[in-house]
Amino acid sequence: MLTVRNLSVWYGLSEVLRDVSFSVPRGEVVALLGGNGAGKTTLLKTLSGLVKPRGGAVEFDERPIAGLHPHDIVTKGVIQVPQGRFVWPSMSVADNLALGAAARHDKAGIAADLERVYDFFPRLRERRGVPAGTLSGGEQQMVAIGRALMARPRILLMDEPSHGLSPRLVQEMIEVIRRLNEEGMTIFLIEQNIGVPAAVAGTTYVLANGAIAFQTHGSKVADDPEVLSSYLGGGRH
Amino acid sequence: MLLAYALSSGITSGALYALVAVGLVLCYRTTGHINFSHGELFMIGGFLAFTLHVMWGLPYIVALLGAVAGSFVLGVLTDRVVYQPLIKAPPIAMVMATVGLSFVLKGIGRHFWGGQGEVVPFPPLVSPAPVLIGGVAVFPQQLVVVASVVVCMLLLTLFFTRTRAGKMMQATAENAHAAYLVGIRVERVYMLTWGVGAALAGVAAVFVAPLTLLTPDIGLSLLLKAFAATILGGLGSMTGAVIGGLLVGILEALAGTYIASSIQDVSAFIIILAVLVFRPTGLLGARARREV
Repeated sequence: MLTVRNLSVWYGLSEVLRDVSFSVPRGEVVALLGGNGAGKTTLLKTLSGLVKPRGGAVEFDERPIAGLHPHDIVTKGVIQVPQGRFVWPSMSVADNLALGAAARHDKAGIAADLERVYDFFPRLRERRGVPAGTLSGGEQQMVAIGRALMARPRILLMDEPSHGLSPRLVQEMIEVIRRLNEEGMTIFLIEQNIGVPAAVAGTTYVLANGAIAFQTHGSKVADDPEVLSSYLGGGRH
Repeated sequence: MLLAYALSSGITSGALYALVAVGLVLCYRTTGHINFSHGELFMIGGFLAFTLHVMWGLPYIVALLGAVAGSFVLGVLTDRVVYQPLIKAPPIAMVMATVGLSFVLKGIGRHFWGGQGEVVPFPPLVSPAPVLIGGVAVFPQQLVVVASVVVCMLLLTLFFTRTRAGKMMQATAENAHAAYLVGIRVERVYMLTWGVGAALAGVAAVFVAPLTLLTPDIGLSLLLKAFAATILGGLGSMTGAVIGGLLVGILEALAGTYIASSIQDVSAFIIILAVLVFRPTGLLGARARREV
């Protein structure tokens, strides 16, 4: 569904992503593991159109999307879920969710989707009138996911869904990802910790120093010594 | 009696400073930049109204709408010509560019409107005779000004809390990254922001024109007062800009009345200095630091 081929991204004189290739089949959860500075965030920014690649291709449903304006990528259904701290803090939960549909114009569909998000996250229905900035970290993460769902995603790109969450909340996040996937959602997630990929991911790539170091399966990342050494060690690839 | 007079004139000019300051803050919180040509947008707006109303004899309301539309367009041009091309440049480039733009606009103002003596009179909108309210003589134009400023603020509040465009602007101001990710056309939001900010300066100019004398050089002193208002209120807070604007207006009227009339024009500087020394975040400034 999403295919990335030989992607290279430069910031000024430094090559941040080098010849990155991977694919996300429809209906699967694919993870990309990497340490700080490995280039994970740059990769997501490139997929969402916030950074223009220098070379390579990004295809969604066989159509090129690399270098398109973020708005056009959103309307194709490629939706990024940023970390929970990227909610709009002074705006209510309801407004945050409603703006998730900023690129849509089907009022009835938006209203129905809002109900669906509230059914998915009953906690957000209770708190819909409160400023999103006053919610707990876990709840803000739900707002970020709910907001992305409001855009009618065909694939979700999740930026470190477990970031800053307690172990109990990480378990909840894993459940959320599992439920979304069971409902048919295709998910590509980047992570620094192996917890989420180990629990829900199929194909798992490891990114080190801007290049794909190797590829494994989510169920194997926990006991694969190569995984840890490849990216926590840094600099060896 | 003297106090009441000082207060009424202070509130009037304060309301206008508030309007100008809100436009300045609107652009600052969304784009992260101070528009140093904001005062010149005010000046051009005032002269557009002057041209339409005084020179061409069109009704005041037409002059108002024309000046607002004209300043909006100028704001949009600022976005196209200055802001968008420099969006990734270091902040100092934007400062230099908007300062440069202020000189260009001032030149345009002098070219078209500067030849008519140094100042240009704008006829009063309502009867110039003062009316007595609770024993205090108040000019009807002052009441019109204050009422209009209140209406503008209410409209702006409704815009931000009730309309989709307003919410998109708010979202972009709070976190532009997230705004891009939901498909908001952030560049258009920036353009709208510059336009609305400039239009607010235009509205202020049309209301203040009958009370004061327009000159092509009025921009800088007005920018300084608006700047004092935003610093006093806390840079980035719209409510703070309103409160700050009113306080600057009242303080300078009191200073002019009780200390020396020569103090009036420099009191904005004194306020800027005092705030920066004693409370750099301004009255409501703590919240403004939340941007990511």
